[in-house]
Amino acid sequence: MKFSYNWLREYVDGLDISPAKLETLITMKTAECEGIEEVGAYLGEACAARVEAVEPIANSHNVKARVETGPSGAKTVVCGAPNCRVGVVTVYVPLGRKVIQGIESDGMLASGAELGINRDDSAIIEIQNQASLDRCKPDSVIEIDNKSINHRPDLWGHFGMAREVAAISRQNLRDPVKLDLLPAGPAPVKIEIADFDLCPRFSAIVFENVKIAPSPLWLQYRLSAIGLNPINNIVDLTNSIMAELAQPMHAYDRDKLTGSTIFVRAAKAGERMMALNDEEYTLKPSNLVIADAAGPIGIAGVIGGQGTAISDQTTNVVFESANFHAASVRRTSMAIKLRTDASMRFEKAQDPVNTVRGLARVVELMREVSPGARLVGGLGDQKRDLPALPQVELSVDWVARKLGRAVGVAEIRDILESLGFGVRENGPKALVVTIPSWRATKDISLKDDLVEEVGRMVGYDSIVPQAPAVLDTVPPQDDSRAFHREARAMFTAQGFTEVHNYSFVSDDLARKFGFDPDDHVRVANPIASDQNLLRMSLVPEIYGNITENRKHFERFRLFEIGREIHKRPHGLPLEVTHLVASIYSKEEGSADLFELKRAAECLMPGAEACPTAARAYEHPARSAEILWRGERVGRIFELHPNLVDGRAALLDLDLDLVQKLRPRVKTYTPLRRYPSSQFDLSVIAGIRELAADLRTKVKDFAGDLLESIEYLRQYSGPPLQENTKSVSFRLTVGSPERTLSSDEVGAIRARIIEGMRGLGYELRV
Amino acid sequence: MIQDDIRTLEADACARIGAAATLEQLEAIRVEALGRKGVLAQISKEMGKLAPEERAQAGKLLNAAKQLLEEAFERRKREFDESRLAARLDAEWLDLTLPAPGPRPGSLHPITQIQMEIEDLFVSLGFMVLDGPEVETEYHNFDALNIPRDHPARDAQDTFWLTDGNLLRTHTSPVQVRGMERFRPPLRMIAPGRVFRNESVDASHEHTFYQIEGMMIDHDVSVAHLLYFMKTLLREVFRRDVSLRLRPGFFPFVEPGFELDVQCFICGGAGCPVCKQSGWVEQLGCGLVNPNVLRTSGIDPEQWSGFAFGLGLTRLVMMRYGVEDIRLLQSGDLRFLRQF
Repeated sequence: MKFSYNWLREYVDGLDISPAKLETLITMKTAECEGIEEVGAYLGEACAARVEAVEPIANSHNVKARVETGPSGAKTVVCGAPNCRVGVVTVYVPLGRKVIQGIESDGMLASGAELGINRDDSAIIEIQNQASLDRCKPDSVIEIDNKSINHRPDLWGHFGMAREVAAISRQNLRDPVKLDLLPAGPAPVKIEIADFDLCPRFSAIVFENVKIAPSPLWLQYRLSAIGLNPINNIVDLTNSIMAELAQPMHAYDRDKLTGSTIFVRAAKAGERMMALNDEEYTLKPSNLVIADAAGPIGIAGVIGGQGTAISDQTTNVVFESANFHAASVRRTSMAIKLRTDASMRFEKAQDPVNTVRGLARVVELMREVSPGARLVGGLGDQKRDLPALPQVELSVDWVARKLGRAVGVAEIRDILESLGFGVRENGPKALVVTIPSWRATKDISLKDDLVEEVGRMVGYDSIVPQAPAVLDTVPPQDDSRAFHREARAMFTAQGFTEVHNYSFVSDDLARKFGFDPDDHVRVANPIASDQNLLRMSLVPEIYGNITENRKHFERFRLFEIGREIHKRPHGLPLEVTHLVASIYSKEEGSADLFELKRAAECLMPGAEACPTAARAYEHPARSAEILWRGERVGRIFELHPNLVDGRAALLDLDLDLVQKLRPRVKTYTPLRRYPSSQFDLSVIAGIRELAADLRTKVKDFAGDLLESIEYLRQYSGPPLQENTKSVSFRLTVGSPERTLSSDEVGAIRARIIEGMRGLGYELRV
Repeated sequence: MIQDDIRTLEADACARIGAAATLEQLEAIRVEALGRKGVLAQISKEMGKLAPEERAQAGKLLNAAKQLLEEAFERRKREFDESRLAARLDAEWLDLTLPAPGPRPGSLHPITQIQMEIEDLFVSLGFMVLDGPEVETEYHNFDALNIPRDHPARDAQDTFWLTDGNLLRTHTSPVQVRGMERFRPPLRMIAPGRVFRNESVDASHEHTFYQIEGMMIDHDVSVAHLLYFMKTLLREVFRRDVSLRLRPGFFPFVEPGFELDVQCFICGGAGCPVCKQSGWVEQLGCGLVNPNVLRTSGIDPEQWSGFAFGLGLTRLVMMRYGVEDIRLLQSGDLRFLRQF
């Protein structure tokens, strides 16, 4: 939203703060300014000038013109405009002397666009006389971030912002509205509102003998300065009042209306309307329309219809100034994908009091923009009872408690009154504050809202930072956060670099990793068609990381800790934190899988890999589940060689489960007082028998006195038979009560050998 | 004469000890001279035949010879040991300029790092660190935060809706609500996490980014307390003194609401391109918790008040390291990530 400094100044008597300073003050006390644009720079020295003589210049479309400027005397200028002819009164700008096509040109004749008055750059501007320029002065336009006034319906017009400026600068505010201008008597147009919730108020007045013409220059300039396009006197008038009072207005050609009643009603299903923007809209009953007897003439609060629009031939005009339900306008505007200056204002919840204020301004300004026009009949004004102004109790202590600094009762009162609030004292240090209608629609209803009004005006920079009292309890901390940190530290220490991947995957990627896209939680409005599912596994994107990084590195390690999202029949999806780590190497081999297994064991001491049926994307002979403390906590595998050149080992752990299984407390066992004994055994087994299985068997035969069993090595080759291997273990046996005799140790050893032989295993001893 | 035999043996053995080329030869010589069946033992045996006074004299001579030879052997053996050790050590020469095998430490994602710093800071100030779901209900993400349906504030947070009617959280603020539901005041909490906005991605816009949310509820929490924590937070994050300013900002879940600016570090407030000539850089949104939000979560706003703030971690990382393209953060590109 753009605000003209000159325009604001019309409502604030004696405003002497520079635009730059004002911008900072508005930012600090009201809303965020995004910068200042200087407009109409030429208007500072411009003056009216009459073209007295024109001479052609050889081989040029330019002419040499002699103009009379009045106070500055006669000037000679080179001009290229098609309308530079004797007798034209235009605008002269003294720019300094310059030789053009051999002719000394002293200044220039300006177009409307060059002056900033309108967008016409096809000709020099034609004016009546010097007085036409009276209200056209260089201006500073302050741009306010729309987001920062979402909650302030009143700040979508200059008068509302002027109220802020007056409060900030401690100057008086001048209200431009003269309600006594509103006509009395029967209204010439009947208004029928079907639902007062959707349209709390609809006001209208009618003019006859209107002449459609360009607006006066000051009005064109004012609209151009804030980025609106001047069109004609009637449209410009409605736009200007919208930019002044934040009250959107609309003008209909009365002669194009069917019947003499304006209806405000829900659209009928399938009803169509050609709008002012040359688009045809098909409407639904959820859209509120303005209609005449023949059909819709406007989509309420959004846009008018083409069929009843003002044209050059219009002479009878109906001015609409209405109030619509904010959410309804917003829903319609979103549904038909059209945001207009009107809908943007209505969706902030405009003040129903304002409709007739806008019409009073129409009456006043019509005298200037269409001098011969006459009011027809009285004001049409359908409304439900306006709500009583709300009152809020506010104590001085509450303000101090919230702001962390004291503000005196007189100062609070002064601030609130300057912003238009009514203030009544209600005992010592207590106030009853009446909320003005333009702040009551949505913005202010709580005493805390008033704390903000006081706080911003006394200035937040007047509040001194203050440490609160120290707590007498230690806040509980989340175990999983500490555990995730530990996991991160462990994996980075082992050479893994952390990546973050998106939570989105595509149907194709999901399928590639064996998931059914329909099992995923789906995004209804994805940013791209390949980001429409929420990931059920971190693996697919880690795979993407591998294929990208292998372009730059021969080997690397990376990991991610992130969430899998799983659909559930009811409530929110299940979010499970997983850790996926990968080691990639261009070289052949299996070492990386064991590196990864080692890393997993660092996190989960004693974790075991348990070979399992491979998934489609896993190497069919290199895939295992990870078991820890009796639970399947994840998988370790190599990516299927068809998926990647080189070798990529992957570990996928359910971190939430791992965390749950972690022992809460560490236990201590006293050191053994008697020495243990050790001996080695080698079991000869089939080449694909699992070392872990052999270990379990040996362990089972060893009995209670076994302290530990450690895998040493495996061997295959001569003198062993083909397809066999020898797996060696080192066993430590002992007792907490005594030293075992060599006979006892020998007996354990013999029992194992005998037991294993009983199972069909030879032992190398 | 036995004395002559001893002298001859002594001279002969000494010469051979000196001439021994290997430890094995030396050992052979030792056995021959000093062994149980060696020459010296033979002589000793023969001494029995001598007259007593001769025997005493010869015994002395024999012991002296034995001692002399033992010493000579020891000396020679030491020489061998020393040269053998020297040879072994020399053979064990290593080129220590070779690189050490094994992986180097990887690195944590820069967002994780800055998140940990801020968590640690707030934990030291008595805050809990809470977590919430990334898929949220409309209630927790909007309604309970005083952002009803059809409120224009929803525009500012383009939302990813899910087909089940839930949404991807657009901010970490719903964790405030979950924190208030779970714990009763007094309450000090922060909630870092991943958030989502339906925005097209370019060098400065991402649909996935990280925030940290903070909230404190107690009796009489004021703007002055908020200022204290914000100043502490930003001083620690930027590791320098900071000048702050609060100005009005609109967030439906706080009242009053603020935008918090930090004086530009580049120009010191004079105005430069980084701060768009304003001298200030917008840093975070904050405010006092809106009484409606407290009430919705069953906390009496007459008894309790609180502040809340939301800080963009992604933006902080970009500022700290001068990262020019936001997309790098979730690219998984190790050329980028290994630098942190």
